[in-house]
Amino acid sequence: MAIAEQTPTTRLEQSTPETRRRPTALKKFWPQYLAVSPFYILFLIFGLFPILFSIFLSFQDWDGMGEMKFVGLAQYQYLLSDPRFWNAVGNTFIIWFLSTIPMLFFALVIAFLLHQNIRLKGFYRVAFFLPNVTSMVAMAIVFGSVFSDSFGLVNSALTALKIENIPWLSTSLGIKVTIAVMVIWRFTGYNAIIYLAGLQAIPTELYDAAKVDGASTWRIFSSITVPLLRPVILFTVITSTIGGLSLFTEPQVLLGNGGGTDEAGMTIVLYQYNQAFTQFDFGYGSAIAWALFIIASLFAIINWRLVGERDGMKIRRNNKTEAGS
Amino acid sequence: MDSLSRRRFLAGAAALAGGAATGLLSGCGSSVSISKSPDELVLWYWNRSISPTLLGQAAKQIPGTDKRLRADVIGGTFDTKLRTSLAGGAYIPDISGINSNCSLYFPSEDLFTDLNELGAAEHKDKYFDWKWQLGTTPTGRLCFWPMDTGPTGFYYRSDLFKKAGLPEDPEAVSEAGSTWESWIELGQKLKKNAQASIISNASMIFGQFINASPERYFDKQNRPLYAQEGSAVRKAWDLSVQAIKAGVTGNLQISTDQNSAWVSGKTAGHIEAVWWAEILKDTAPDTSGHWRLASQPVKPGNSGGSFLTVPKTAKDPEAAFAFISWLTSPENQAATFNEIQLFPSTPGSFTSGTMKGGGKFFGPQDELSFFEQAAKEVPTTFVSTYESQVGAFALELANVETGGKDPNRAWDDAVSQTDRVLKKRGVI
Repeated sequence: MAIAEQTPTTRLEQSTPETRRRPTALKKFWPQYLAVSPFYILFLIFGLFPILFSIFLSFQDWDGMGEMKFVGLAQYQYLLSDPRFWNAVGNTFIIWFLSTIPMLFFALVIAFLLHQNIRLKGFYRVAFFLPNVTSMVAMAIVFGSVFSDSFGLVNSALTALKIENIPWLSTSLGIKVTIAVMVIWRFTGYNAIIYLAGLQAIPTELYDAAKVDGASTWRIFSSITVPLLRPVILFTVITSTIGGLSLFTEPQVLLGNGGGTDEAGMTIVLYQYNQAFTQFDFGYGSAIAWALFIIASLFAIINWRLVGERDGMKIRRNNKTEAGS
Repeated sequence: MDSLSRRRFLAGAAALAGGAATGLLSGCGSSVSISKSPDELVLWYWNRSISPTLLGQAAKQIPGTDKRLRADVIGGTFDTKLRTSLAGGAYIPDISGINSNCSLYFPSEDLFTDLNELGAAEHKDKYFDWKWQLGTTPTGRLCFWPMDTGPTGFYYRSDLFKKAGLPEDPEAVSEAGSTWESWIELGQKLKKNAQASIISNASMIFGQFINASPERYFDKQNRPLYAQEGSAVRKAWDLSVQAIKAGVTGNLQISTDQNSAWVSGKTAGHIEAVWWAEILKDTAPDTSGHWRLASQPVKPGNSGGSFLTVPKTAKDPEAAFAFISWLTSPENQAATFNEIQLFPSTPGSFTSGTMKGGGKFFGPQDELSFFEQAAKEVPTTFVSTYESQVGAFALELANVETGGKDPNRAWDDAVSQTDRVLKKRGVI
């Protein structure tokens, strides 16, 4: 705080020489600015422009070729009363819920195990990370065969165990579970590696001290590992939320652009793609994109409140005690 | 870091990017066509839609002109890429393939050349009239030139039909299943005696019924017909529900299931266009020799088939027209069939005697003459731009088949869903 308060005074004092110095800063550092400029230029053209254009588009009625027609908020009004959109929102959250909780749990367990002194550590790390770099399109085809209703591996196994077959890909819940399994399969290893990095950043002295004090494994896990992993957990929860909300490839390749029986696998992004690129309703597609942006922002805030702020408060409290002592 | 200079830098970068963008845009504006060379026409097509041999010939010289052709294979989402070019008014090909969904482009028909202005009428008698009409816009402009077609037939497994105590000879099967009701009866016997479905799912019956109907979802003024009493769509719906209730459909909604069922013999039939034979040969090669073709109940329809179009911006429309009329001449379509099995849109291709039917897959049956006959019986119909919005019907039908949804409720849901979308698009 003290430093921040000082800055304006410094600036005021130097205001006259600074105006003279400004052009020299650009002159002096131009190679550095030039070196970082490609990102900004590309971002302006391929990032910022499409974002702004999609806001503009969401107020238009446009089929991608003919004349644009300004329709004001009509796309958003339709969106609010569109049962297919709300079905897509519901699907997305159910799939997200079905996938994220088991995924992060498995990831933490795997990370914990990989952190122990085991043989072939490197091999296991690569093995767990491998699904993440496998082509999702290839995987969706494999999953389509594994969960196929009448000829799939899973149902064959159920038949062998004398359990009734489950129509995985033609019932609402079956489709959602299958997609969730695909997500879990793909991202568990990825999150495990992130957790592992977090675990390795925890100083061993803390563990040693706890052991000297006679703490149990569970106590060590709950009082040292989990609290210190909190920022990492927050990170994985947020990335999984974003990933879950933007789920697209898995249902698209598995079920096609229609989202399967009763549109049970129709996620928000798949619906957006469907409207914009198969129905050529670009205005509505853009409106859906912005609705997704609002939902994702809400969730980022909720996540932050749930996991982050408590951390922040703790740090502030710690600072206070330090200052007091 | 000094915040003031950073801000200044950002302003500079924005100016730079703006300059780059203007440069790009002005660059686009100056070249509407992809190729700058005046002697070269650019064609966009997708894999296996045009004979490579003929493209090779045209690459040297388009017959009857002094131009040559550059053919670019456009992969993936073809429509999106073509529409992007057309909307941006830049990098537009001089000639383009268009799939069976050419009606999607009707609202923007002024972006395409009316081929009648280039003398299309002289060639009209060479082509199937129903195919010619499909490429004609509601205002009567021929913007989409006939390439290949997709007359349909009833594919069936003769060995499984025999096992079920049914006739196995194509003519006898055509006769036994000449109406949809008798076809469903065939399906019931097949199910009972050979434990096989006559078709993968009910939506396929629905689609092929409409493909064989002169009336579809909309009239030429894009007014919806489906909700009217006794409409073709309603008849197709009732028939499909009847088939579901009779238990003859396979309830196979995803392609992996469908493929396995064809391989294993759990599905013993299918109604689809001529091009499906190639897919079946790849999917279930071991069933070769057992498949036969019988007439689709009542009459055949058209499923699929593509077109060629000349955008308004084409460098040399006459040369482009010379190319497309040469490429789709009866002789060249016959050669294309022999090379990549595209089914001709000219009856003359069959009489040339150069077309070769393919192998033993259909036993002793000659599938070529079968589909030639079917192609002659395809009704003339109108496909509306807004048929891309009627997906709710097939979807609701799948709900009836998989989840046992009440058919009447499913129909009402499909109609109201379609109405909603059409109202949004300003059609009704």
